[in-house]
Amino acid sequence: MTDLHAHTPISDHLEKVTGRAEFISDVVVPGMLHGKILRSTVPHGIIKKIDTSAALAMPGVVAVLTGADVAQLNNHWGPSLKDRPLIAIDRVRYVGEPVAMVAAEDERTAEEALELIDVEYELLPYVTGAEEALAEGAPVIHAKPEALKDFYFKGEAKPVPGTNIFQKYAYEHGDVEKAFAGADRCFEGRFEFPMVFHYAMEPHCVIASFHNEGLTLWSCGQSPTAVQKVLSRVFEMPLARIRIISPYVGGGFGGKASVKIDPLVAALAWKVRRPVRVCLSISETMLTARRLSATVDVKTGVRNDGTIVAKSVRILMNGGAYADTGPAIAVKAANRAIGPYRIPNLKLESVAVYTNTVPGAAFRSIGGPQAVWASESQMDEIASALDIDPVELRSRNILRCGEHVRPDLRPIDVEMAEAMDIALKEMTKLQSLDADAKTFGGTALGISDPGIMPVASVLMRLKIDGSVAVVSNSVEIGQGVREVLRKLASEQLNQPMHAIEVLTPDTAIAPFDWGTAASRSSLMMGLAIEDAAKDIRKQIADIAAIVFSAEPSAVRLCEGGVMIGNEKKTFNELLHSYYGIDSGEIVALGRVSPHSNGGRLAQAPLFWETAAGRCGIIADVETGEVKVKHYVSVADVGRALNRAGAEGQDEGASIMGLGHTLSEELIYEDGQPINATMIDYHVPTIDEVPENFVTVLIESGTGPGPGGMRGMGEGAILPVAPAIANALATGYGIRIRELPITPERVWRALRDKRKV
Amino acid sequence: MFITPFTHHRPAGLHSVFDILAKYGDDAAVYAGGTELLLALKARVLRYEHLIDLKRVKELGGVRVENDFIGIGALATHYRIANDPVVLASIPEYASLSDGIANIRVRVAGTLAGNLSFAEPHSDPPALLAAMGATVQLVSADSERSVPVSEFIAGEFTTMREDNELISEVRVPVTQPNEAFRFRSFGHLERPAVNVAVGCKNDDGKTAFRIWLGAIGDHPIHAEKVETALRGVPRASLRDVLPAATEEFTSGLSATSDLHGSADYKRHLASVLMQRAVNEAAESASSKES
Repeated sequence: MTDLHAHTPISDHLEKVTGRAEFISDVVVPGMLHGKILRSTVPHGIIKKIDTSAALAMPGVVAVLTGADVAQLNNHWGPSLKDRPLIAIDRVRYVGEPVAMVAAEDERTAEEALELIDVEYELLPYVTGAEEALAEGAPVIHAKPEALKDFYFKGEAKPVPGTNIFQKYAYEHGDVEKAFAGADRCFEGRFEFPMVFHYAMEPHCVIASFHNEGLTLWSCGQSPTAVQKVLSRVFEMPLARIRIISPYVGGGFGGKASVKIDPLVAALAWKVRRPVRVCLSISETMLTARRLSATVDVKTGVRNDGTIVAKSVRILMNGGAYADTGPAIAVKAANRAIGPYRIPNLKLESVAVYTNTVPGAAFRSIGGPQAVWASESQMDEIASALDIDPVELRSRNILRCGEHVRPDLRPIDVEMAEAMDIALKEMTKLQSLDADAKTFGGTALGISDPGIMPVASVLMRLKIDGSVAVVSNSVEIGQGVREVLRKLASEQLNQPMHAIEVLTPDTAIAPFDWGTAASRSSLMMGLAIEDAAKDIRKQIADIAAIVFSAEPSAVRLCEGGVMIGNEKKTFNELLHSYYGIDSGEIVALGRVSPHSNGGRLAQAPLFWETAAGRCGIIADVETGEVKVKHYVSVADVGRALNRAGAEGQDEGASIMGLGHTLSEELIYEDGQPINATMIDYHVPTIDEVPENFVTVLIESGTGPGPGGMRGMGEGAILPVAPAIANALATGYGIRIRELPITPERVWRALRDKRKV
Repeated sequence: MFITPFTHHRPAGLHSVFDILAKYGDDAAVYAGGTELLLALKARVLRYEHLIDLKRVKELGGVRVENDFIGIGALATHYRIANDPVVLASIPEYASLSDGIANIRVRVAGTLAGNLSFAEPHSDPPALLAAMGATVQLVSADSERSVPVSEFIAGEFTTMREDNELISEVRVPVTQPNEAFRFRSFGHLERPAVNVAVGCKNDDGKTAFRIWLGAIGDHPIHAEKVETALRGVPRASLRDVLPAATEEFTSGLSATSDLHGSADYKRHLASVLMQRAVNEAAESASSKES
């Protein structure tokens, strides 16, 4: 077989390295104005008065939008709870909440005008911590948020009216209390995970334009169809009149998932009746979305030989001022706390609460890092107390492929023991390179049930010249989806890579897809492309039967055309003969639903996304500084469609995990975020990347997609923090239960240990 | 955010700079690399009607060698300083410090003079320059004076520079054959939490130290008590004296708890870094002698 991929550059690389790739900030729409946002300076308050007259009087200012303008619209929205106003109406609920918005002829004027807007607040009591938000007498941030059923995710949130709780989730199998009572030992611990920021390199950026045909948005959203749906509700417009175009997006990581600033920008364009462009700064993006912080209480009962008999997990998540996808995140956090172990008695509880902080949102493996941080740290605590090697303890409890994590979920579909073993062996090799300063190893495993809705579709158009347009709503957010789509289409249609064009997503022409998130696009689009290719093959065989009297079963696709038996016909010959003119195309829609593939996609999760991580660290016991010298990340991805890209995703997820492990934390004091700038909030740089980093992608071919692929890109973030904390415990005898593991926390733990 | 509108001036000579400054007074500010000023302007913490770009002012450029000092012109970037062969040979520890400042984008644009003028407390250069006995040359339209770096920084974001003065040069004494400097800096964020600079001089077998601390306070702090405790102590006996001396000194330091760390942690860091830098400087000085 010839290599269809040879000598064809990766789809977007050439454009990006030459600066030609078009991001939203490069898009210019005729007549476009520039919008800037005035944000709340108080954590919680009633808006007494907004005076916009001075701003409006400024030359170049076209309009100012405030809450008063949106009264006639369906002005609240949300992907799960309808709790968020388009723009603050009567009150503000966090520092950074949009209060007013200026549209001006240029960005500078818009920004100058913001300073002329005078807002008076009546301060309300506020709460920034999740525990405080649950306390008796805490200010209630939303009295009675309306839950939307099956709006974005399947199901609905369960808020508790009159409290700050916007989601409550519970699950149980077996009898946990009885099992604890019968266990040889029980271990309990509380683990803290901070609010962290996505830091996509491109801040949020949207252009909205109302015109005769409806509303067009150039959106940085990861879920164009969700944006379309929310806008349709807000402006009471038919979906068909709303068009979302998704140019290249400079990273998402969940910070642009579901819906973010699109309704706000559209509201300004609606008021001013001209196209409006809004590009946030990084600091503004830090006030737009962040990962939910969490307090995780874990209790595990074991026998003396390390066998787990019961586990209970209680997770409290700080969801910020608006729920966003927090309700789903709380559920996922609970599931992802289970781990790849046999647990006969299991109890999960999670609660997510409103606070007066930046809204929590989806973030690479929603709820996963918070949960795995706690569970995998405790596994090593158990191992240490029972004097069992941590890897051995895991082995004794580990699920084999096909066993149930939870009886109601799809059985685990990978061998975690194999991944753990590879991680250990690879790390031993790396540690043999250690010179004087020996590194200490730590292991952690993560498994997650991707929240994938099996709802996707793709349009493939095979042109008479053999070129193929792939039209979908999968957004290229830097993860390489366009290249993956190209490869999938190339394989399925047996056409060379250079014949495949993957188009910029545009809801006007691309069929429905749920969104670009949850490690789903390669897999979902893979299945949809498989379906569309099947249709193309059928149409071609039918045409060949008509024009060349071919036996349909004897028709095979080959490069540039078809083989009918041993005879080659080009697409041109085929379609020219069929249509009678030298023009034409074949169009096919590929579709995935819970009913596809004989219903095999319906059970959740569609596959298990997993990771085994092992680190080699050195700590400076005097300063407390932790250096990760080596890191090994292993995952069974089924099949790596684009190996370099997949390894990049794995490395990226791990290094992102290094951020919440060692330095990242959004800090609140007196209701204010005090380090929401890139100077005071430290994201890992190349200096912190481990000297030796090994990614092992196991290609077992056992996933549900074409060639046995499964999704990937998120799992590797899971084990990083607990692996490093475990290495600190093994090497230095300290157990850190609060992230990030700053040098000061390490120093304090070492000092406290010496005191004992 | 955008910088508020301003008029941009690009004078070619020092006299024009002073003319513009005299004309606009408080409404004008000078800059070279802009790495500190532009951030503050963009955050709208500062506003000026007039910005004076110094990059074309010939009198401020270059790095020059006098008999016993290196003159670092106000326009010399950290990158230039880190890579200049003369600087590397004459004041190697300062070149090394320059090579570690911030990131490459800051180093190629930012200048030492700008760094000192801004007087951000969480900064690396002042402590080492103070330990090296460097001075800041301040010029105005009609006068010139010299201020030791150790006295130049008056507090957080404030210096001894008058509004009508500019830094023309930073003069750093050439490191002598019988002396060595060591600089240690630590922090887990972009800027240092604490740094320590130590100079060790060997005179006929007697060692004398110069020790300065940076970033922990709002200006460089002279650790005279530690210097006194270490005076004349043979290298082999340093370990008997050093920990107690540094701990005693740092325990009395005033420090504030902030994003960079709690006060007690910073004091501890100061002590640790001081011990390390003293040992390294002593070792380096003794190896130079032999």
